[in-house]
Amino acid sequence: MNEKYFWIGLVALVALGPFVGQNYILHVLILCFIWSMVVAGWDLVMGYAGIVNFAQLVFFAAGAYASAMIAISLDLPPLEAIFITAIIVAFVGLLIGLPCLRLRGEYVALFTFAVHLALPSLIRQGRPWGTGGSTGLMGIPPFEIGGYTLYTIDKLPWYYLTLTLAAVAVYTIYFVILPRKWGRAFVCIRDSEAFARSLGVNDYKYKLLVFMVSAAITGVAGALYAHYIGVVTPSILETEFFLIVMLMLCVGGMGLFPGAVLGAFIITIGNELLRGVGEYRLLVLGVAVLVSVVLFPNGLTRLFARSAAVMRPASPRER
Amino acid sequence: MGQWLEVLAGGITQGAIYCVFAFGLSLVYGTTRIMNFAHGSFYMVGGYLAWVLSVGYFGFSYPIVFLIVVPLLFLLGVAVERVVIRPLRWAPNWKTATMMATLGLAFVIDNLNLIIFGPGEKLLPPLAAGTLSIGGLVVSYHKVLVCMLAIGILAALELFLTYAQYGQAMRAVAQDMQGASMVGINVNQIFSYAFGLSVVLAGIAGIMLAPIYLISPLGGWPPFLKAFVIVVFGGLGSTRGVFYSAFILAIIESFVIFEIGATWTMPVWLLTLLVVLIVRPQGLLGVRTD
Repeated sequence: MNEKYFWIGLVALVALGPFVGQNYILHVLILCFIWSMVVAGWDLVMGYAGIVNFAQLVFFAAGAYASAMIAISLDLPPLEAIFITAIIVAFVGLLIGLPCLRLRGEYVALFTFAVHLALPSLIRQGRPWGTGGSTGLMGIPPFEIGGYTLYTIDKLPWYYLTLTLAAVAVYTIYFVILPRKWGRAFVCIRDSEAFARSLGVNDYKYKLLVFMVSAAITGVAGALYAHYIGVVTPSILETEFFLIVMLMLCVGGMGLFPGAVLGAFIITIGNELLRGVGEYRLLVLGVAVLVSVVLFPNGLTRLFARSAAVMRPASPRER
Repeated sequence: MGQWLEVLAGGITQGAIYCVFAFGLSLVYGTTRIMNFAHGSFYMVGGYLAWVLSVGYFGFSYPIVFLIVVPLLFLLGVAVERVVIRPLRWAPNWKTATMMATLGLAFVIDNLNLIIFGPGEKLLPPLAAGTLSIGGLVVSYHKVLVCMLAIGILAALELFLTYAQYGQAMRAVAQDMQGASMVGINVNQIFSYAFGLSVVLAGIAGIMLAPIYLISPLGGWPPFLKAFVIVVFGGLGSTRGVFYSAFILAIIESFVIFEIGATWTMPVWLLTLLVVLIVRPQGLLGVRTD
């Protein structure tokens, strides 16, 4: 694939860090990195495994809440906390993936979207169990690594932390998992499930795997988000976030590197630029989704990719 | 005992309206194979249109409101199908793309409503004031009227789909798209009309339920969630199934609200969906349409 783009981009971003003067720009880039992880995870499930999953933000929220609740009630070093969060969210991914195993595309979309819609009310009802209800959890302790505390103000350390984790996540997804056996299995299931099964590919196992991996990575992103922002409320499940993340996939393109990641950067920056429009911002985002899906349903990356490099042929099943 | 009857009566009324709303969703899925995520937003559009035409600005009475709203909604549905859905049918992953497009559309509509009408809730007056007493049971005139209206609409729909030319054409397209076009049915036109009809149904359901549930920009999502639990429970592609499941689930909801409390409605609906998908994904009367 386009591994050299990854390394060029990574080196550029690493070198860029100390030269960015404004904290605000660092903040936007930190958000870009966090969302890259989420979108890469979503691309893995939707673009490569072909599962229409609308519960990605559920994983994000699960990671944010789990990490926040662990940090507030237990006193664990952050690396362990993140590890536990990843496991918890992987389990959530398993739970959500299980009912989806026997379902066709639309049903999976409906079910995952239903979970997404019902989760805020579940979180609100969960106040007795420490979810903080509608007001959310505040005062999440900042991150600590090797004795060094990462307050939200310290943009540069956060920049490198999120860049590192995002780079690890993106590299793992696109260049470790996908070219090898698991990735081949995912794509095989997407393109022709019956044929895959006839070849001995255990589609139940791989569907659950892809949910779990995607969820774990997204959950870690959620944990980072929670510690960075310091507050987590049910609002991260609202339409705004969903729209934004979906736009990232639509605009960037699913199923081809660096589509999703590129989309994450474009939309995060665009979203910040749109803040000047005030109350029309969400409307513009919605129109952007419509326009980008209708006009270029395969995302920007495919507009520029040569046909030979396009990994995703039209699925015969969907015609 | 009287209380249980009241809860049952409430459930039946809700069921009738949910049925109208879910029917629209099922109609679109049956003919176009698309899950229209903007269905809940159209529900609210109906409510807002009615509000503007009655208490908001114009002060028309309900019959006139319905006369204006129905053709408007139909045209809206046809326009949406032409502009948003149709271009996507030739995309390689058109199902995913259309679902995302309808989601985007839903957000556009929601935010337009938010900008135009503000975030607060709007109130529509009931269709008729006062209450009625049937054998010791007290029900509001509004509920009775709305129930009769909904059942009337459902009967009309059934007749339309069975005997009217376009209705039969819709059923043909739902059964076999290629076969329908082979016998000379203009499939594109049927898609447009099915979508238009579904938007009408969504909007009318919105108007009927608005006096109870109020009108707000994001208020279409709970009904949407309920509608597709109903459609899945009844079976995607089966209109008879939608009919039964709407009433069954609405009555269950009524009892849940009565026994446990209204805040648990949404989790219970989600739980129902989960159970249905695990135990019997094809629903009560599901038909494999593909």
